[in-house]
Amino acid sequence: MRNISIKKFKEALDNKNGELSSLAKSGKKIIGYFCTYTPIEIIHAAGFMPVRVTGDAETLSKVDAHVPNFICPYLRRAFESGLNGQYEYLSGIIQGYTCDVACGLIDMWKENIGGELFHTVPLPYNDNADSRKYLSTAFEELDLKLQNVGGQQIYSNIESSVALYESIRALMMGLYEKRYKGTLPLSGSEFHTVIQTGFTLSPEEYLKMLKKLNADIEEADTKSNTHTPVLISGSIIEEPIYLDIIEASGGRIVGDDLCTGLRHFIQTDTVGHDPMERIIDRHFSRLPCPARSRAVERAHLLMGLTRQSGAKGLIFLFQKFCTPHLADYPVIKDMLDQQGLQSIMLEMDETGAMEGQLQTRLEGFFEVMGKI
Amino acid sequence: MEKTAKSKKRLSTAKELNNIVAQFYLEGNDAKEKGVPVGWMPPMNGAIEIFYAMGLQPVFPENWSPVCAAFGLTPNNFEIAENMGFSRDLCGYLRNITGYIYGDMNGEHVPLGGLPEPDIILSAGGGCIPAMKILHTLERRFPDANIFSADLPQVPVTEIQQYHIDYAVKEMHRLIDFLCQVTGKTMDYDRLAEVVRISDKACELWDKIMSYRKYVPTPFSAAEIGIMFVMVTRQGTRIAVDFLEKVLDEVKERAKNGIGVIEDEKIRLFWDNIPLWYNMGIFNYFEKMGGVVVAETYSAAWSMRLDVDDPIKALALKSLWSYPMVSCVSIEKRKEMVLKACKEFKIDGAIFHSNKSCVPITMGQSDIRRALEKELGIPSVVIDADHMDDRNFSIAQFQTRVDAFMEMLLDSSHP
Repeated sequence: MRNISIKKFKEALDNKNGELSSLAKSGKKIIGYFCTYTPIEIIHAAGFMPVRVTGDAETLSKVDAHVPNFICPYLRRAFESGLNGQYEYLSGIIQGYTCDVACGLIDMWKENIGGELFHTVPLPYNDNADSRKYLSTAFEELDLKLQNVGGQQIYSNIESSVALYESIRALMMGLYEKRYKGTLPLSGSEFHTVIQTGFTLSPEEYLKMLKKLNADIEEADTKSNTHTPVLISGSIIEEPIYLDIIEASGGRIVGDDLCTGLRHFIQTDTVGHDPMERIIDRHFSRLPCPARSRAVERAHLLMGLTRQSGAKGLIFLFQKFCTPHLADYPVIKDMLDQQGLQSIMLEMDETGAMEGQLQTRLEGFFEVMGKI
Repeated sequence: MEKTAKSKKRLSTAKELNNIVAQFYLEGNDAKEKGVPVGWMPPMNGAIEIFYAMGLQPVFPENWSPVCAAFGLTPNNFEIAENMGFSRDLCGYLRNITGYIYGDMNGEHVPLGGLPEPDIILSAGGGCIPAMKILHTLERRFPDANIFSADLPQVPVTEIQQYHIDYAVKEMHRLIDFLCQVTGKTMDYDRLAEVVRISDKACELWDKIMSYRKYVPTPFSAAEIGIMFVMVTRQGTRIAVDFLEKVLDEVKERAKNGIGVIEDEKIRLFWDNIPLWYNMGIFNYFEKMGGVVVAETYSAAWSMRLDVDDPIKALALKSLWSYPMVSCVSIEKRKEMVLKACKEFKIDGAIFHSNKSCVPITMGQSDIRRALEKELGIPSVVIDADHMDDRNFSIAQFQTRVDAFMEMLLDSSHP
């Protein structure tokens, strides 16, 4: 099975800070984003490189003087990394309004770390003619803000930028299909590495790497895996160790509903519209984040994903203190229970994975599932 | 000092407030019995004026939470919500309302008759995530209610553009159309203009009342901030205006005669974030050391004027301003506002409530603290607590920090 190597992805991920710093020094402007609702195609079309801000800091010391300890570990780590100077290569941060914490953090980043462009796109919740027109204007406002810091007018490049990201999404969705069928010869953490790499490379480079990976996978053998197929739901997972623990405890990750996963890459049917309309279409038809939808709606979508992926149960893997997910969880859990779908909820805190404790809980979960 | 305590009030009009609170909730139940459509909605937006103009009954589940805290209902409500799987890390308003609506919501032990069940739910799209999730929870609990899915741009107040206003105006019209459709009532736009005029009058009175707190000694403190009840629940009605006029008269009189909250006001304090609804008495705690809380961030949510010549636009703007002004949506503006208030109200020290139940208001506090110290030389202290859940509040820690802070302020005020 193991003639697939993700070494190049791993190397790119390990070297990202050096590469991005060099790129910024060469004059390329790099714009950070936290959330998958950020219209990265527009940032790219303006001639900038969108890069997802990750929470790399391993020890937290400076951040306590800035934010409370009851916000998610991801954003605390990300801010610590910023305070440590890791993101000096960023010219600013752009995001779509989803989470309250990220919304506040953008102002704090501007104040404490600095940059030339900070903007939150005020995304609409409802899908109708007025909200689409409104979102289109919000994107025009973003275009102007990007131009004010040296960006090109997006209209000459937006078609190719959208096409580029659509190609990436199409390839990723192909990998997801293989995962659903059990023919993706990558472990959960290897697939996670492939995904994380995409947040930090230029889309052009990433597309090339994905094409090569896809070709390698076509020729690779797959082995049957008797572990229990599960779907993971949550926001951001940064440490692959959580995925290793799931798989070491008897699980096989066949699908996900993650910001660092399907929700970032999911492609929706937008063919036939102009590029801006395609971005708007995708905004309204994507698998929604709990910050932008109702728990009941997401419960039905999760049940559909479970069927599609062949999962027999769900693992909710939440960032501690993540309000949107925690608020929806009881409703979703209740609806899953009514359908006889097994699930377990785990929270990732700042103290690390607590490997032994997690493994014990997961082994118990898979044991119960095995008896059903 | 008790973990839960009521505040000691000095304004005689505060006694009248008790009646206004009781009257509001009794009116809600009465309206339900008479068949007046009841709508549950989030606070801090322009829907309240539309409801009053159309003769509909508004209910504010968020506002019910302080009532639950004051009457000691929260522990049971929290238990119900937490047993349903709602994490203790979630906002206390969300957990309290969830527990309340899934418990015995109109039982004999519930004060003021409890809340009337909703015929209409204004589900928030905008505001904070917990506020949105409260309404989603209500939708599931009351499946027969008519749901209006609201949509409001979440924009820093300094960055509001015409297209945000246009969209918010359309949402106001969409809300009116929806209400007409589900209630069979019509909107009398002359009546709406009058309601907005009355609402604007309340804002004007609110600002005037708050401005008298600049007097030294201040005529009233944050212990009386319950007066905001009329801004939350009665904006657009004569009840709010009549009450605020009386408060203004009393406050003016006290200011003119130099009547303060305590005999010897030594230290003037600022409070950031939502009060501890289960312990409003902590606002009096500072008094033994000569400290009075003379201003707070939260009251700024109603510090605005409404353009009575364009009522719908005025309500759209109110909706765009109120929440962002005091939250993480506009940290820069909030900082500017706090600094201005601290200057104008001659503040000696600020108390920042790091509020486990309200991340949106807690975010940015550190930057505001630093700016206060750096630009105005005003020191501050952080109190770790929770506006709803007293399990996240330690009296001992509060007293230790406040005592040390007050001693430091007293020392520096008398070198």
